[in-house]
Amino acid sequence: MASVVVIATTAVPDHVRGALSRWMVEPVAGVYVGTMSARVRDELWSVVSDSVGDGAAVSVHPDDNEQGFSMRTAGERRRVVMDFDGLRLIQMSALEESAPNTAPTPEGW
Amino acid sequence: MAAVEDARKALARPTLAMLPRVSDGLSFLFVDICRVVQTDTGVCAEIETDAGGVHRTPIPTASLACVLLGPGTSITTPALATFMRHGTTVVTSGAGGVLHYGSVPAPGRTTKWLDRQARAYADDERRMEIATRMYEMRFGEEVAEGTSIERLRALEGQRMKGLYRQLATKYRLKPFKRNYDPESWDEQNPVNKALSAGNAALYGVAHSVIAHLGCSPALGFVHSGKQHSFLFDIADLYKARTTVPLAFSLHASSSPEREARFKLRSDLKLYRMIPQMVRDVQILLDPDVDDIEVPSGPSSWRVVDLWDPLAGAVAGGVNYADHLVGEPR
Repeated sequence: MASVVVIATTAVPDHVRGALSRWMVEPVAGVYVGTMSARVRDELWSVVSDSVGDGAAVSVHPDDNEQGFSMRTAGERRRVVMDFDGLRLIQMSALEESAPNTAPTPEGW
Repeated sequence: MAAVEDARKALARPTLAMLPRVSDGLSFLFVDICRVVQTDTGVCAEIETDAGGVHRTPIPTASLACVLLGPGTSITTPALATFMRHGTTVVTSGAGGVLHYGSVPAPGRTTKWLDRQARAYADDERRMEIATRMYEMRFGEEVAEGTSIERLRALEGQRMKGLYRQLATKYRLKPFKRNYDPESWDEQNPVNKALSAGNAALYGVAHSVIAHLGCSPALGFVHSGKQHSFLFDIADLYKARTTVPLAFSLHASSSPEREARFKLRSDLKLYRMIPQMVRDVQILLDPDVDDIEVPSGPSSWRVVDLWDPLAGAVAGGVNYADHLVGEPR
């Protein structure tokens, strides 16, 4: 049973993009669409997720659940998939506060 | 440019065709300890981190049927308005979706289910039919054609007694007698206390479901005469499977009420039963619910139908002066 798969990539190594383009088409830079069986999909995803490096990738495919699709992510980004009792939504995490930017209080205040 | 303007309007004010049907609307989202706000793009749930940053989760309003706002939630008016525009019922509830405090039904919701409920309630024959089906749902077996309500009540009483006896034997307890007398609440045994507390939670969830479907909680079929008759009807469908066994398992508990509520949330995952409840209410009120309903009538989003005893519903927003037949104008 082949089904549609969409994989979106951000800043992944060139060889990953090359590998993806052998199975899928790239209608938008970094976004790959293709139809394949679940096994090929899993193989391809394991390759991608193992080699994203500092980049990130997400794969979306139809699934038998309430939403009708499943998402898998690899790499660290601000968006995190959160599970709300089976309903999976995306959380935009807060920008990490680096250093407190308060200047020391001058003398006499 | 006009096309862009139209597209923007359509996105802000969705037509009915763009929204899921009630029977599709099985997605319930429970949020707690967050702030629900309208941003310039949509509705988000915000959680503030210790560092002062904000975690934002966009909520897919148009595809949600019902949002349960749990403890520690606040919601802004624009966010609420967006839910209303998309026909999402907003319910305030206790932790884990149990205990229903109140609800804001969306004005655009169909009255199909309320209509069916009121008709069935007002027609003794149909009311009898639905009451019978409720008993059948509780028994899990068909009842012989033409069984009277008295007989059903007796059968149901026997069945509950049997269940109590079976559970009392299982936990090696004295014969159980149900008692929910508020006067002597404190000297009740733990099983009675746990059962009352668990049932209260179940009523809350049933209430949320009924609010979401736009039915009246007051028009019951088996129960009658109370503002919450219909929700007693619906909650009773599930007691034998949920709150009764749970209460008996808490026979040695020192705080049965608290534990019953906690277990309903954690082990029984009460609000995962909600889609099932929606389905059951729909099947009770309309046995042919599985038929695909094709949206009919004008697709304009503001129009209300006018009732016609023969034609059912005719389009509102139309001047019917020209439809006078055979009368001089």
